[in-house]
Amino acid sequence: MIKNFKIEKHHADIVAKATLFKCLRYLDRETFETPFLLVDAEKIREKVSLIGRSIKNSKVFYAVKANPDIGIIRFLHTLGTGFEIASEGELELLLSIGVEPEKIISSNPVKSLKFLKLASKNGVNRFSFDSPDEVEKLAHFIPDCNVYVRLSVPNEGSEWPLSKKFGVELDEALALLCRARDRGLNPAGVTFHVGSQCTNIYNWNIALEKSKTLWDMAAKAGIKLGLLNIGGGYPIAYTKNVMSIESIEKNINNLIYDKFPEDITVQLEPGRAVVGDAGIFVTTAIGKARRCDEDWLYIDVGVFNGLMESVGGIKYSYIVETSKQGRYKKHWTLAGPSCDSFDVIDKNVRLPEPEVGNLILILSSGAYTISYASEFNGFSIPKTILI
Amino acid sequence: MIKFNEKAPYAPVEYLYDVEEILYRGKSRFQEIVVIKNPYYGRMLLLDDVVQITERDEFFYHEMLTHIVMHSHPEPKKVIVIGGGDGGVVREVLKHKTVEKVFFVEIDEEVINVSRKFFPAVSSGMDDPRVEIKVMDGADFVLNRKQADIDTVIIDSTDIIGFARSLFTTDFFNNVKNCMTKDGMFVTHTESLHFHKDIVIEMQEVLKKVFPVVDLYSAPIATYPGNWWAFAVASKNLLPRELRRKYEISTKYYSDEIHRHAFMPEGMYEKLMQRKLEW
Repeated sequence: MIKNFKIEKHHADIVAKATLFKCLRYLDRETFETPFLLVDAEKIREKVSLIGRSIKNSKVFYAVKANPDIGIIRFLHTLGTGFEIASEGELELLLSIGVEPEKIISSNPVKSLKFLKLASKNGVNRFSFDSPDEVEKLAHFIPDCNVYVRLSVPNEGSEWPLSKKFGVELDEALALLCRARDRGLNPAGVTFHVGSQCTNIYNWNIALEKSKTLWDMAAKAGIKLGLLNIGGGYPIAYTKNVMSIESIEKNINNLIYDKFPEDITVQLEPGRAVVGDAGIFVTTAIGKARRCDEDWLYIDVGVFNGLMESVGGIKYSYIVETSKQGRYKKHWTLAGPSCDSFDVIDKNVRLPEPEVGNLILILSSGAYTISYASEFNGFSIPKTILI
Repeated sequence: MIKFNEKAPYAPVEYLYDVEEILYRGKSRFQEIVVIKNPYYGRMLLLDDVVQITERDEFFYHEMLTHIVMHSHPEPKKVIVIGGGDGGVVREVLKHKTVEKVFFVEIDEEVINVSRKFFPAVSSGMDDPRVEIKVMDGADFVLNRKQADIDTVIIDSTDIIGFARSLFTTDFFNNVKNCMTKDGMFVTHTESLHFHKDIVIEMQEVLKKVFPVVDLYSAPIATYPGNWWAFAVASKNLLPRELRRKYEISTKYYSDEIHRHAFMPEGMYEKLMQRKLEW
């Protein structure tokens, strides 16, 4: 007997029909224990072929942190994608499946010593930086490496802003590039990050404007830059449609080639945009309660074992398995399985009422879910299954 | 004049039909059933607000779903029709003199009743003595068939991500294969090549894991969003592109010539499957 899911018009804006079809076929066929993440390989292939297509001279480096599942990494490797990493663990993962060092960059401005040692041993030699100490570290471990400086840019309109932790202003960036040159490194370029899930297209305008200013300042100081790393930030649809990658990239491409020379190398670091909307979290309703005029729905994945980003404001769309036709909808407070009162995923979520034991599918959950999960309270980290 | 606005969840277009009259409106255990009258299409059957058939052009879909497998089989005697509660496919199947038995398996008896009342020209074959009506899930019906004696299996279902999904599982395809003779032919609809090419490909791949021969043909359907409608056809050994019997039935769109031209050209099919068709 197949399971009955309430699929509605608004779901069609969030998840591709083919992805949903594959997921539902999987759920009809297999016996399983929830929670786990289903990832549609064909959707990833489609996204990878789309990303970078409208930006001349661009190369894609998948941000491994978004979802480091080895099956996904292997699949991306067969597609010829490069990888952006931040740690020794991510590097070991790539080395274990034979990814060549030319395919690897690291845009973490502050790298661990252990990582630098391993990177040095394995020929990884492109790094971002934004502090004098990092120059010293890089000069010590990988004396002739290529470096690109991280600029601070506005992150307004991004659901997951990043700029406060990293990035420097123009004068300091120039000083860092000069310092890198003086310490024997190759000052190759500039990088920025507009913030993850960026729905404000002007962030790229400002960031590219600022990058060009630095580019010219560097030229005056005798440093010829050639690399423009524009980070990630492309949004995916969670609860409503977002601007298409094609439109964002056409804008970026125009901005770049208005300002920068033709022989520039552009690097992209998409993570969320590659795996986010290919993923569907399969979870189970484990309890319901009415408390102080609120209807609570408890599911077996929460803030600690997969939905950490809900704390930062990411709201998901859900498809509910309903055993009864036409059950009316309620506004739910949706909570995870742990005993921590912080483990609340969302409030006022309008869903048909499931029975305990019914499945709840969480759409667009392929990125920054499993990679954030912990085993808090004894709930194991959900598996990723590539289908 | 009032209008009916069809908003199928996954269609990037919406259709707007003039409604002269609402002839029937009811709810079955499975879905909402509505019959309206449109000045151009005549009577139209809607299930959960999605157009299934219209009086004016139902033959495009029914003929093309039925006659390809019926003509590529050398002598179809026993046929299973799953879904298609309106009876259109059953009517087409009965045009073949070789047919001795039709199992007409429809999960929703209300659709059969509504069709009998409002679409007499479509449901006309239902009372033929060769037809045995089974009101049940088609997936259960093929699961419980013990002999491999069926010549053709024809699926006429609603949307593949709705409750008709039981007719798109690998288990179901295996059970279909097991109940067919060595010359058995199977056909099901698989979405629009314009809008859901990826699902068309996925279905071909899924069927190839079960059947040695899988192919694809298409037909133009005016009222289905994306219009260029694909059908997946599979068999244990016979190639569906070939007609194995003389075309001598009466049809409006299908013919022996259309049979040969309905299939995707081989080079294009290869490109499709390698995901090299970009639109």
